[in-house]
Amino acid sequence: MSYSTELIKGTLKTIILKLLADNKKMYGYEITQKVKELTADRIQITEGALYPTLHALEADKLVTTETEYIGKRIRKYYSLSPTGKTQAKEKVKELASFMDTMISLLDIKPKMI
Amino acid sequence: MYSLNEQQIDFILRDINARGVRLESLQNDLLDHICVIIEQQIEKEEDFEQCYESTIRAFYRQELREIEEDTIFLLACRNRLTLSRTLFFILLFTIFIGPFIYPDIAWLVTSGPTAGWNIPLDIWASTVVYSLFPLLILLVLLLTPERLDPLIPAKSKVLLGVRPFIKIIAAR
Repeated sequence: MSYSTELIKGTLKTIILKLLADNKKMYGYEITQKVKELTADRIQITEGALYPTLHALEADKLVTTETEYIGKRIRKYYSLSPTGKTQAKEKVKELASFMDTMISLLDIKPKMI
Repeated sequence: MYSLNEQQIDFILRDINARGVRLESLQNDLLDHICVIIEQQIEKEEDFEQCYESTIRAFYRQELREIEEDTIFLLACRNRLTLSRTLFFILLFTIFIGPFIYPDIAWLVTSGPTAGWNIPLDIWASTVVYSLFPLLILLVLLLTPERLDPLIPAKSKVLLGVRPFIKIIAAR
C-alpha cells in the first residue's frame, strides 16, 4: 500500500531531516532510494517534491551542501547544519507526539508485533 | 555498469534548460539524478534516448519546470510577512488614507494650542473629497465577512503589489 501525496507532503521535511541526521551526507537520488528501501516501497518521494524541499531547507540554513564532480556532472551532497540537527530532533519529536494524538483521536489499536 | 558520455550529459543538461529549468543549482541536482537512473537502467548506447525520455517523463505531471516553480514558491513563502486581517487593513488605511489626513494633522500641529479643532474649510474639504472614496472601499472590504468573499485578501494583496510576500491570516 502506498500513501497519499497529502500525507507524504506533510512529513517530507521531517523525513529528509531525519535521514540526513542518520546518514551524515546524502545526494538527491540517494535520499529517494533510502526512503524506498526503509519503507519497503510504501513511500516513494518524487523528484518534484524532493528538490523544492531540499532547496527550501538550504535557504533556511538547516542543511549545508558540498559538491563533487562525477566526470562532467556535479553531484550535490546535502548534510545537516548545527541548527538542522536541533530541528531534526524537534521535528521527529513533534511527529511522534502527533501520531500518538491521532492514534488516540481515531481510536486506532496498535498492532502487536 | 554503463557510464554516460559527455555528449549525452550535455544533451540532458540542454534539454533540462530547454524545458524551462533555469536555476543552476536545480539543473545540477536534476542532471545528476537523471544520469544515475539512466546509468542503472541502460545497457547499451542505442537505448539512451528512449531511456532518457521515459526517465524524464516520471519527473513531472505537466511540465518539468513545475519543479522550479515549486522551488521558487517555497523560497518566496519563507519570507512572507504574516499579518492578521485587521492589521492588514490598518496598513492599507495608513497607506491610502494617511496622506489625505496629513494636511489636517499638519495644521493642528502648526496652528498652536489656541486654534483648537477649527480646521479651515478648504483643508477639511480636500480631506473628505480625496479620502472618502478610498475609505468607503476599504470599509466595504473590511466589513465584508470573509466567508462571503474569500477573494478579498487576494485582491488586497494584489492592490499592494507585494502579494508573494504577504500572507493574510483570519482575524482573531
